[in-house]
Amino acid sequence: MNGLRALPFAAIAALALGLAATLAALQGDPPFGAVEIGPWTTWPRVGDSEIDPYARAVLAASGALPLGSGEGLAFIAKTDDSGAALDARCDYRISGGAPSARFWTLAAYDVDGRLRPNAANRYGLSSATLLRDSGGGFTVDASRDAQPGNWLPLGDKSRFILVMRAYQQTSSAVTGALDGLVLPGITREGCS
Amino acid sequence: MSPRLSAADRVIGLIPWVVAALFGAVAIHLLAVLSLPALAPGASFRKLALPLAPGEKALLPRAAAVSGGSAFADPFAALALCRFDLAQGPLRVRASADGDHPASVSVRLADGTIIYSANDKQTPNGKFNVLVVTQAQADALDSAQDNTGQTGASGGGDDELRLVSPSARGFVLFRTLSLRAGDYEAAAAARGGFACSVEKPAP
Repeated sequence: MNGLRALPFAAIAALALGLAATLAALQGDPPFGAVEIGPWTTWPRVGDSEIDPYARAVLAASGALPLGSGEGLAFIAKTDDSGAALDARCDYRISGGAPSARFWTLAAYDVDGRLRPNAANRYGLSSATLLRDSGGGFTVDASRDAQPGNWLPLGDKSRFILVMRAYQQTSSAVTGALDGLVLPGITREGCS
Repeated sequence: MSPRLSAADRVIGLIPWVVAALFGAVAIHLLAVLSLPALAPGASFRKLALPLAPGEKALLPRAAAVSGGSAFADPFAALALCRFDLAQGPLRVRASADGDHPASVSVRLADGTIIYSANDKQTPNGKFNVLVVTQAQADALDSAQDNTGQTGASGGGDDELRLVSPSARGFVLFRTLSLRAGDYEAAAAARGGFACSVEKPAP
Protein backbone atom coordinates (compact mmCIF):
# COMPACT_ATOMS: atom_id res chain seq x y z
CA MET A 1 0.00 0.00 0.00
CA ASN A 2 2.90 2.32 0.86
CA GLY A 3 4.25 1.81 -2.64
CA LEU A 4 1.13 3.32 -4.19
CA ARG A 5 2.10 6.66 -2.69
CA ALA A 6 4.73 6.84 -5.45
CA LEU A 7 2.08 6.57 -8.16
CA PRO A 8 1.26 10.30 -8.49
CA PHE A 9 4.94 11.17 -8.51
CA ALA A 10 5.63 8.59 -11.21
CA ALA A 11 2.72 9.87 -13.30
CA ILE A 12 3.86 13.49 -12.99
CA ALA A 13 7.43 12.51 -13.81
CA ALA A 14 6.26 10.55 -16.87
CA LEU A 15 4.18 13.49 -18.10
CA ALA A 16 6.97 16.00 -17.55
CA LEU A 17 9.63 13.81 -19.14
CA GLY A 18 7.42 12.88 -22.08
CA LEU A 19 6.46 16.47 -22.87
CA ALA A 20 10.02 17.71 -22.36
CA ALA A 21 11.31 15.06 -24.77
CA THR A 22 8.64 16.09 -27.29
CA LEU A 23 9.53 19.76 -27.04
CA ALA A 24 13.20 18.95 -27.46
CA ALA A 25 12.57 16.73 -30.47
CA LEU A 26 10.41 19.31 -32.21
CA GLN A 27 12.76 22.25 -31.76
CA GLY A 28 14.27 23.29 -35.05
CA ASP A 29 14.69 20.83 -37.88
CA PRO A 30 13.37 17.32 -38.45
CA PRO A 31 15.71 15.04 -36.48
CA PHE A 32 15.95 12.28 -39.07
CA GLY A 33 16.57 11.90 -42.78
CA ALA A 34 18.73 14.95 -43.40
CA VAL A 35 21.03 15.06 -46.41
CA GLU A 36 23.88 17.55 -46.19
CA ILE A 37 25.60 19.08 -49.18
CA GLY A 38 28.24 21.55 -48.00
CA PRO A 39 26.48 24.08 -45.76
CA TRP A 40 23.10 23.10 -47.20
CA THR A 41 20.71 20.56 -45.69
CA THR A 42 17.62 19.02 -47.18
CA TRP A 43 15.09 16.44 -46.01
CA PRO A 44 14.02 14.63 -49.19
CA ARG A 45 11.39 12.47 -47.49
CA VAL A 46 9.31 15.36 -46.18
CA GLY A 47 7.95 15.71 -49.71
CA ASP A 48 6.39 12.28 -50.04
CA SER A 49 4.31 9.74 -48.18
CA GLU A 50 7.40 8.24 -46.51
CA ILE A 51 7.75 11.24 -44.20
CA ASP A 52 8.55 10.14 -40.65
CA PRO A 53 6.32 11.11 -37.70
CA TYR A 54 8.90 13.47 -36.22
CA ALA A 55 9.28 15.43 -39.44
CA ARG A 56 5.50 15.57 -39.75
CA ALA A 57 5.23 16.95 -36.23
CA VAL A 58 8.00 19.51 -36.79
CA LEU A 59 6.30 20.77 -39.94
CA ALA A 60 2.92 20.92 -38.22
CA ALA A 61 4.38 22.94 -35.39
CA SER A 62 6.07 25.37 -37.79
CA GLY A 63 3.13 25.72 -40.17
CA ALA A 64 5.41 25.30 -43.17
CA LEU A 65 4.22 23.96 -46.52
CA PRO A 66 7.10 21.81 -47.77
CA LEU A 67 7.64 21.10 -51.43
CA GLY A 68 6.32 17.80 -52.70
CA SER A 69 8.91 15.53 -54.25
CA GLY A 70 7.34 16.15 -57.64
CA GLU A 71 7.61 19.88 -57.14
CA GLY A 72 11.20 20.28 -56.06
CA LEU A 73 13.61 20.28 -53.17
CA ALA A 74 14.37 22.94 -50.58
CA PHE A 75 17.85 23.34 -49.13
CA ILE A 76 18.46 25.23 -45.92
CA ALA A 77 21.71 26.81 -44.80
CA LYS A 78 22.25 28.08 -41.28
CA THR A 79 26.01 28.32 -41.50
CA ASP A 80 28.64 29.35 -44.01
CA ASP A 81 31.22 27.03 -45.53
CA SER A 82 33.35 27.23 -42.39
CA GLY A 83 30.50 26.17 -40.15
CA ALA A 84 30.00 29.61 -38.55
CA ALA A 85 26.38 30.67 -38.01
CA LEU A 86 25.05 33.09 -40.61
CA ASP A 87 24.98 36.61 -39.22
CA ALA A 88 23.60 39.67 -41.01
CA ARG A 89 26.36 41.83 -39.55
CA CYS A 90 28.59 40.06 -42.05
CA ASP A 91 28.65 40.00 -45.84
CA TYR A 92 28.51 36.69 -47.68
CA ARG A 93 29.42 35.60 -51.17
CA ILE A 94 27.32 32.76 -52.54
CA SER A 95 28.83 31.25 -55.64
CA GLY A 96 29.72 28.05 -57.38
CA GLY A 97 27.43 25.40 -58.72
CA ALA A 98 23.69 25.62 -59.03
CA PRO A 99 21.20 22.81 -58.70
CA SER A 100 20.16 21.02 -61.87
CA ALA A 101 16.63 22.27 -61.98
CA ARG A 102 14.22 24.02 -64.29
CA PHE A 103 14.21 27.00 -61.96
CA TRP A 104 15.59 27.87 -58.56
CA THR A 105 15.14 30.62 -56.03
CA LEU A 106 17.18 31.90 -53.11
CA ALA A 107 15.77 33.80 -50.14
CA ALA A 108 16.83 34.86 -46.65
CA TYR A 109 14.60 34.30 -43.61
CA ASP A 110 14.50 34.99 -39.92
CA VAL A 111 14.96 31.94 -37.75
CA ASP A 112 11.17 31.74 -37.39
CA GLY A 113 10.75 31.49 -41.16
CA ARG A 114 9.73 35.07 -41.98
CA LEU A 115 11.27 36.93 -44.87
CA ARG A 116 13.76 39.61 -43.85
CA PRO A 117 12.35 43.15 -43.91
CA ASN A 118 14.58 45.41 -45.97
CA ALA A 119 14.36 48.89 -47.47
CA ALA A 120 14.69 47.56 -51.01
CA ASN A 121 11.68 45.25 -50.58
CA ARG A 122 13.69 42.58 -52.31
CA TYR A 123 13.07 39.21 -50.74
CA GLY A 124 14.88 36.82 -52.98
CA LEU A 125 16.65 36.05 -56.22
CA SER A 126 15.77 33.60 -58.94
CA SER A 127 17.80 31.72 -61.49
CA ALA A 128 15.91 33.50 -64.25
CA THR A 129 17.17 36.94 -63.35
CA LEU A 130 20.70 36.37 -62.10
CA LEU A 131 23.54 38.20 -63.72
CA ARG A 132 26.01 35.58 -64.89
CA ASP A 133 29.58 35.55 -66.04
CA SER A 134 30.66 34.41 -69.48
CA GLY A 135 30.92 30.81 -68.27
CA GLY A 136 27.39 30.81 -66.92
CA GLY A 137 28.53 31.04 -63.32
CA PHE A 138 27.08 33.44 -60.83
CA THR A 139 27.89 35.22 -57.61
CA VAL A 140 25.31 36.44 -55.13
CA ASP A 141 26.31 39.03 -52.55
CA ALA A 142 24.21 38.68 -49.42
CA SER A 143 24.55 41.81 -47.35
CA ARG A 144 22.64 44.40 -45.34
CA ASP A 145 24.06 47.08 -47.63
CA ALA A 146 23.22 47.45 -51.30
CA GLN A 147 25.67 45.72 -53.61
CA PRO A 148 26.16 45.88 -57.37
CA GLY A 149 25.15 42.78 -59.28
CA ASN A 150 23.18 40.00 -57.62
CA TRP A 151 22.34 41.48 -54.24
CA LEU A 152 20.37 39.57 -51.63
CA PRO A 153 19.39 42.01 -48.85
CA LEU A 154 19.72 40.61 -45.34
CA GLY A 155 17.83 43.20 -43.30
CA ASP A 156 18.90 44.21 -39.82
CA LYS A 157 18.34 41.27 -37.51
CA SER A 158 21.52 39.34 -36.93
CA ARG A 159 20.74 35.65 -37.31
CA PHE A 160 19.30 34.48 -40.59
CA ILE A 161 18.73 31.38 -42.67
CA LEU A 162 19.17 30.91 -46.40
CA VAL A 163 16.77 28.73 -48.34
CA MET A 164 17.46 27.62 -51.90
CA ARG A 165 14.60 25.90 -53.70
CA ALA A 166 15.25 23.81 -56.77
CA TYR A 167 12.01 23.40 -58.68
CA GLN A 168 11.58 20.43 -60.95
CA GLN A 169 15.08 19.26 -60.19
CA THR A 170 16.65 16.51 -62.20
CA SER A 171 18.13 14.70 -59.18
CA SER A 172 15.74 12.22 -57.69
CA ALA A 173 14.45 13.21 -54.31
CA VAL A 174 12.46 10.01 -54.06
CA THR A 175 15.41 7.71 -54.29
CA GLY A 176 17.64 10.08 -52.41
CA ALA A 177 20.07 10.09 -55.31
CA LEU A 178 21.47 13.47 -54.49
CA ASP A 179 25.12 12.56 -54.84
CA GLY A 180 25.65 14.48 -58.05
CA LEU A 181 23.82 17.55 -56.90
CA VAL A 182 25.91 20.70 -56.83
CA LEU A 183 25.05 23.66 -54.66
CA PRO A 184 26.85 26.97 -54.22
CA GLY A 185 29.28 27.65 -51.44
CA ILE A 186 28.70 30.36 -48.84
CA THR A 187 31.78 32.40 -47.99
CA ARG A 188 31.96 35.03 -45.29
CA GLU A 189 33.54 38.17 -46.67
CA GLY A 190 33.72 40.50 -43.71
CA CYS A 191 31.79 41.73 -40.71
CA SER A 192 30.89 45.16 -39.43
CA MET B 1 16.35 -4.42 10.65
CA SER B 2 18.94 -1.67 10.58
CA PRO B 3 18.10 1.84 9.26
CA ARG B 4 20.69 1.31 6.48
CA LEU B 5 18.90 -1.77 5.19
CA SER B 6 15.61 -0.02 5.42
CA ALA B 7 16.85 2.81 3.19
CA ALA B 8 18.13 0.29 0.66
CA ASP B 9 14.79 -1.44 0.67
CA ARG B 10 13.06 1.83 -0.01
CA VAL B 11 15.35 2.56 -2.96
CA ILE B 12 14.78 -0.91 -4.36
CA GLY B 13 11.06 -0.42 -3.90
CA LEU B 14 11.20 2.73 -6.03
CA ILE B 15 12.84 1.03 -8.99
CA PRO B 16 9.59 -0.28 -10.48
CA TRP B 17 8.10 3.20 -10.25
CA VAL B 18 11.11 4.75 -11.96
CA VAL B 19 10.85 2.16 -14.73
CA ALA B 20 7.12 2.79 -14.99
CA ALA B 21 7.73 6.55 -15.18
CA LEU B 22 10.23 6.05 -18.00
CA PHE B 23 7.86 3.84 -19.95
CA GLY B 24 5.09 6.36 -19.35
CA ALA B 25 7.33 9.17 -20.56
CA VAL B 26 8.08 7.29 -23.76
CA ALA B 27 4.38 6.61 -24.31
CA ILE B 28 3.44 10.26 -23.71
CA HIS B 29 6.23 11.41 -26.00
CA LEU B 30 5.11 9.14 -28.84
CA LEU B 31 1.49 10.08 -28.34
CA ALA B 32 2.35 13.78 -28.44
CA VAL B 33 4.46 13.42 -31.59
CA LEU B 34 1.78 11.42 -33.38
CA SER B 35 -1.11 13.66 -32.37
CA LEU B 36 0.59 17.00 -32.92
CA PRO B 37 -0.08 17.21 -36.69
CA ALA B 38 -3.81 16.99 -35.99
CA LEU B 39 -3.81 19.30 -32.99
CA ALA B 40 -1.24 22.03 -33.70
CA PRO B 41 -3.12 25.29 -34.27
CA GLY B 42 -0.51 26.49 -36.75
CA ALA B 43 -0.51 23.33 -38.85
CA SER B 44 -1.16 24.12 -42.49
CA PHE B 45 -4.36 22.10 -42.75
CA ARG B 46 -5.91 23.60 -39.65
CA LYS B 47 -4.76 27.12 -40.42
CA LEU B 48 -5.30 27.34 -44.17
CA ALA B 49 -7.71 24.63 -45.29
CA LEU B 50 -10.08 23.92 -42.44
CA PRO B 51 -11.88 27.28 -42.71
CA LEU B 52 -12.82 26.41 -46.31
CA ALA B 53 -15.80 24.37 -47.44
CA PRO B 54 -14.82 21.22 -49.33
CA GLY B 55 -14.09 22.14 -52.93
CA GLU B 56 -13.84 25.85 -52.17
CA LYS B 57 -10.73 27.50 -53.53
CA ALA B 58 -8.62 30.00 -51.62
CA LEU B 59 -5.77 32.13 -52.91
CA LEU B 60 -2.96 32.54 -50.43
CA PRO B 61 -1.34 35.95 -49.99
CA ARG B 62 2.11 36.59 -51.35
CA ALA B 63 4.90 35.85 -48.93
CA ALA B 64 6.21 39.06 -47.42
CA ALA B 65 8.15 40.12 -44.39
CA VAL B 66 5.15 41.61 -42.62
CA SER B 67 2.04 39.88 -43.88
CA GLY B 68 3.07 36.47 -42.74
CA GLY B 69 1.69 33.60 -44.74
CA SER B 70 3.26 30.22 -44.18
CA ALA B 71 6.63 29.91 -42.54
CA PHE B 72 9.48 29.77 -45.03
CA ALA B 73 7.18 30.69 -47.92
CA ASP B 74 8.88 31.35 -51.24
CA PRO B 75 8.39 34.97 -52.38
CA PHE B 76 8.35 33.74 -55.97
CA ALA B 77 5.49 31.28 -55.43
CA ALA B 78 1.80 32.02 -55.85
CA LEU B 79 -0.33 29.47 -54.03
CA ALA B 80 -3.94 28.38 -54.10
CA LEU B 81 -5.58 25.52 -52.26
CA CYS B 82 -8.82 23.74 -51.73
CA ARG B 83 -9.91 21.38 -48.99
CA PHE B 84 -11.32 17.92 -49.44
CA ASP B 85 -13.49 15.87 -47.16
CA LEU B 86 -14.11 12.63 -48.97
CA ALA B 87 -16.98 11.79 -46.63
CA GLN B 88 -18.89 14.34 -48.69
CA GLY B 89 -17.76 12.90 -52.01
CA PRO B 90 -14.68 12.64 -54.21
CA LEU B 91 -12.79 15.79 -55.07
CA ARG B 92 -12.12 16.66 -58.69
CA VAL B 93 -9.05 18.82 -59.24
CA ARG B 94 -8.34 20.43 -62.55
CA ALA B 95 -5.37 22.68 -63.12
CA SER B 96 -3.35 23.89 -66.02
CA ALA B 97 -0.09 25.71 -66.40
CA ASP B 98 -0.13 28.85 -68.51
CA GLY B 99 3.10 27.88 -70.24
CA ASP B 100 5.04 30.83 -68.89
CA HIS B 101 5.14 29.94 -65.23
CA PRO B 102 6.17 26.58 -63.76
CA ALA B 103 3.23 25.02 -61.98
CA SER B 104 2.65 22.06 -59.71
CA VAL B 105 -0.10 20.30 -57.80
CA SER B 106 0.27 18.43 -54.54
CA VAL B 107 -2.30 16.49 -52.54
CA ARG B 108 -1.77 16.66 -48.79
CA LEU B 109 -3.50 14.88 -45.95
CA ALA B 110 -4.72 16.69 -42.86
CA ASP B 111 -1.61 15.56 -40.99
CA GLY B 112 0.61 17.13 -43.66
CA THR B 113 1.63 13.96 -45.48
CA ILE B 114 2.02 14.61 -49.20
CA ILE B 115 0.53 11.68 -51.06
CA TYR B 116 0.90 13.08 -54.57
CA SER B 117 2.84 15.85 -56.22
CA ALA B 118 3.64 16.56 -59.82
CA ASN B 119 4.68 19.46 -61.96
CA ASP B 120 3.43 20.65 -65.31
CA LYS B 121 6.27 18.93 -67.16
CA GLN B 122 5.07 15.57 -65.87
CA THR B 123 1.49 15.87 -67.07
CA PRO B 124 0.00 15.91 -70.59
CA ASN B 125 0.14 19.44 -71.97
CA GLY B 126 0.75 20.79 -68.49
CA LYS B 127 -2.79 19.90 -67.44
CA PHE B 128 -3.81 18.18 -64.24
CA ASN B 129 -6.98 16.15 -63.85
CA VAL B 130 -6.96 14.39 -60.50
CA LEU B 131 -9.86 12.66 -58.78
CA VAL B 132 -9.20 12.17 -55.08
CA VAL B 133 -11.22 9.28 -53.69
CA THR B 134 -11.38 6.84 -50.82
CA GLN B 135 -10.79 3.16 -51.52
CA ALA B 136 -14.54 2.53 -51.20
CA GLN B 137 -15.29 5.28 -53.72
CA ALA B 138 -12.69 3.88 -56.09
CA ASP B 139 -14.27 0.43 -55.78
CA ALA B 140 -17.70 1.92 -56.46
CA LEU B 141 -16.39 3.65 -59.56
CA ASP B 142 -14.83 0.42 -60.78
CA SER B 143 -18.06 -1.43 -60.13
CA ALA B 144 -20.08 1.17 -62.00
CA GLN B 145 -17.62 0.92 -64.86
CA ASP B 146 -17.99 -2.87 -64.95
CA ASN B 147 -21.76 -2.57 -64.97
CA THR B 148 -21.93 -0.07 -67.76
CA GLY B 149 -19.06 -1.51 -69.71
CA GLN B 150 -17.86 2.02 -70.26
CA THR B 151 -14.54 3.45 -69.27
CA GLY B 152 -14.38 6.67 -67.36
CA ALA B 153 -17.34 5.99 -65.10
CA SER B 154 -16.25 8.98 -63.07
CA GLY B 155 -16.80 11.18 -66.10
CA GLY B 156 -13.35 12.63 -65.75
CA GLY B 157 -12.01 11.76 -69.18
CA ASP B 158 -9.09 9.69 -70.36
CA ASP B 159 -6.48 11.90 -68.76
CA GLU B 160 -7.92 11.41 -65.28
CA LEU B 161 -5.57 10.36 -62.52
CA ARG B 162 -7.51 8.61 -59.80
CA LEU B 163 -5.80 9.04 -56.46
CA VAL B 164 -6.88 6.86 -53.55
CA SER B 165 -6.37 8.77 -50.34
CA PRO B 166 -5.66 6.84 -47.14
CA SER B 167 -7.43 9.57 -45.20
CA ALA B 168 -10.71 11.34 -45.84
CA ARG B 169 -9.51 14.83 -45.03
CA GLY B 170 -6.81 16.96 -46.56
CA PHE B 171 -6.17 19.67 -49.10
CA VAL B 172 -4.80 20.22 -52.57
CA LEU B 173 -2.15 22.86 -53.15
CA PHE B 174 -1.57 24.55 -56.49
CA ARG B 175 1.70 26.40 -56.93
CA THR B 176 2.80 28.67 -59.75
CA LEU B 177 6.14 30.41 -59.86
CA SER B 178 7.06 33.87 -60.99
CA LEU B 179 10.37 33.78 -62.76
CA ARG B 180 11.23 37.27 -61.63
CA ALA B 181 10.00 39.63 -58.95
CA GLY B 182 8.06 41.87 -61.35
CA ASP B 183 6.32 38.87 -62.82
CA TYR B 184 4.46 37.86 -59.69
CA GLU B 185 1.05 39.23 -60.67
CA ALA B 186 1.06 37.22 -63.89
CA ALA B 187 2.00 34.08 -62.00
CA ALA B 188 -0.70 34.79 -59.45
CA ALA B 189 -3.24 35.17 -62.24
CA ALA B 190 -2.32 31.69 -63.45
CA ARG B 191 -4.05 30.38 -60.33
CA GLY B 192 -7.26 30.92 -62.28
CA GLY B 193 -6.47 27.66 -64.02
CA PHE B 194 -6.92 25.77 -60.77
CA ALA B 195 -10.38 24.50 -59.86
CA CYS B 196 -11.81 22.00 -57.40
CA SER B 197 -15.25 20.50 -57.10
CA VAL B 198 -16.89 17.90 -54.93
CA GLU B 199 -18.40 15.14 -57.05
CA LYS B 200 -21.26 12.83 -56.30
CA PRO B 201 -20.11 9.38 -55.24
CA ALA B 202 -20.81 6.61 -57.71
CA PRO B 203 -24.13 4.86 -56.94
